[in-house]
Amino acid sequence: MSLLQTLLEAFRSLASNRLRTALTMLGIVIGIASVVLMLGVGDAVRAFIDRELSVLGSNQLIVQRGAPTAGGGGQRRPPNPDAVMLTIDDAAAINGLPSVAAAAATLQSIFPVLYGDNSTQSTVLGVTPEMFRVRNWVVDLGVAFTDEDLRSANRVILIGSKVAEANYLRRDPLGQVIRVGGRPFTVIGVLAGSGRTLDGTDLGELLVVPITAFPLVLPRPRAVHYINVQAISELRLKEAEADVAELLRDRRRITGDTPDDFNITNLASIAQTGANIAAGLSIGLGVIGAVSLLVGGIGIMNIMLVSVSERVREIGIRMAIGAKPRHVLTQFLAEAVVMCLMGGLVGVALAAGGVWAVNRIGAVGSFSMSLSLTHVGVAVLFSTAVGLFFGFYPARRASLLLPIECLRQE
Amino acid sequence: MSALITLQGVAKSYRNGEIVTPVLHDIQLDIAAGEYVALMGPSGSGKSTLMNLLGLLDRADTGHYHLAGRDVTQLSAAQQAEVRNQTLGFVFQSFNLLKRMNVAENVALPLLYAGATRRAARERAHELLAQVGLDGLAHRLPSQLSGGQQQRVAIARALACRPALLLADEPTGNLDTQTTAEVLALLDSLNREQGLTIVVVTHENDVAAHARRLVRLKDGRIVFDGAPVAGRH
Repeated sequence: MSLLQTLLEAFRSLASNRLRTALTMLGIVIGIASVVLMLGVGDAVRAFIDRELSVLGSNQLIVQRGAPTAGGGGQRRPPNPDAVMLTIDDAAAINGLPSVAAAAATLQSIFPVLYGDNSTQSTVLGVTPEMFRVRNWVVDLGVAFTDEDLRSANRVILIGSKVAEANYLRRDPLGQVIRVGGRPFTVIGVLAGSGRTLDGTDLGELLVVPITAFPLVLPRPRAVHYINVQAISELRLKEAEADVAELLRDRRRITGDTPDDFNITNLASIAQTGANIAAGLSIGLGVIGAVSLLVGGIGIMNIMLVSVSERVREIGIRMAIGAKPRHVLTQFLAEAVVMCLMGGLVGVALAAGGVWAVNRIGAVGSFSMSLSLTHVGVAVLFSTAVGLFFGFYPARRASLLLPIECLRQE
Repeated sequence: MSALITLQGVAKSYRNGEIVTPVLHDIQLDIAAGEYVALMGPSGSGKSTLMNLLGLLDRADTGHYHLAGRDVTQLSAAQQAEVRNQTLGFVFQSFNLLKRMNVAENVALPLLYAGATRRAARERAHELLAQVGLDGLAHRLPSQLSGGQQQRVAIARALACRPALLLADEPTGNLDTQTTAEVLALLDSLNREQGLTIVVVTHENDVAAHARRLVRLKDGRIVFDGAPVAGRH
């Protein structure tokens, strides 16, 4: 008897008892859906963190004025207006620490920005050249500004790829003049890449000028809004955090038990917190999946045992006309496997719905899920394995029945 | 004629816990190819048990069974299934058709177990149904057929793999007089025209009269073996 024939008979047999088949499949449906979602969440989180860290640069700290709130944690807070502002010189001092690879002072504000006749409100960053290293910014076209631009407070500007695309589709953006806060800035470069990052900015929409040319009147000379710090390595991130804290306490003359009037945020720890939550979710789904598959599998075994005892006479007739034990075994095994596979496919469909919903609701930043062929393959493999494992015992029992005893049964 | 069936010293008893009930004692029986044999006897005489042993549906406790020149006493379950498929055909009192399959699929099933392709099995099934006069009902379900028609489907199925021996267990037990005559006429023609060996278990003298040899059992022993007319009471 061919495999095709065996599968056709299995389908027919299952179709003759639709409600029972559907209810039996339910556990497998939930189990496979959970497993597929678990795999999807795992992949999505890994991709998300990789993307975030590559955009932000790795081993990042952000230093702001204002006392850390109780409980600490990774949340960024609005700066405390009462605390003394950080300065470019603080950034330079931090830059000199042995555990620090680079430190960049940053000013950030929203300005009216004029591209020819086209006016918008945009966020503009004023930074020191170290920022390019700290944030892994790559200049796609033109050049980054230099220490000389910084010293001379040259009105030069680098723009994000989306800005370049929106305003200079058919023109060379280099050399164009953009008015920021009423002052003219010359475009000297376009930054590569785009995408929203954990700190809320979109790389493609960046406008970056030398911090000394930032068109804002500040309450204190050389003041900055925050300092981006990159540690030498991930291993020395904690050490860098402590070094920066110690240096700033010293420079700001904070002693003894007086609390810090600045705070240091570890960006990786925000990503890590997200990753931990997602990993927990992933494990939760995995456990639900495993339990559902186990319970579903036992349900299938149970129903197959019932099915065998209901069909003893059929088995006897089949044996009488020439069915070998292996024919009976494969017949019942095929029913279990077909039932699991159908459940698995429904489960995959359910998971696809879940993925669609997650992407529709839209979680944080660039987080998005997808259903890969590998996951579907794993689901099919899992359902087949469950069918084979839990279907084997009932099928084996059926195959070991004696024809004479089957035929005696009414 | 060569012996198709040889039983030597076959005995069988059933065990139910401590109680052992002997059913057949030391049966010696030869049936030649082409014979038409009726097995009769009161209930409990062991005629059905003998039939099951001949059909390899059950195993003897002792003795030897040669079928078509082969010792089939000690075959494995799979080997027995193959012999049932290739050499034997069964017709039961209650027809034993698979109710979810249509008539043609029922007839084709033994061929599929024999390894035939779906196409070949379907063609042979239609040929067999034509032979028993039911070609027009190939796509009906068994439940949509009369008893006589169902039994003819069962006969077509029994003939699917061109068996050497047809075993019929009370084949007319569930049929009325008219359809009984039809089924018996079909068996007669199979025996006479195709030389098919038939063993039929029955308790009806009219049915036994169609056979050319009567074997009568009582208390697990053969008490008569001869022409049907002489065996009548």
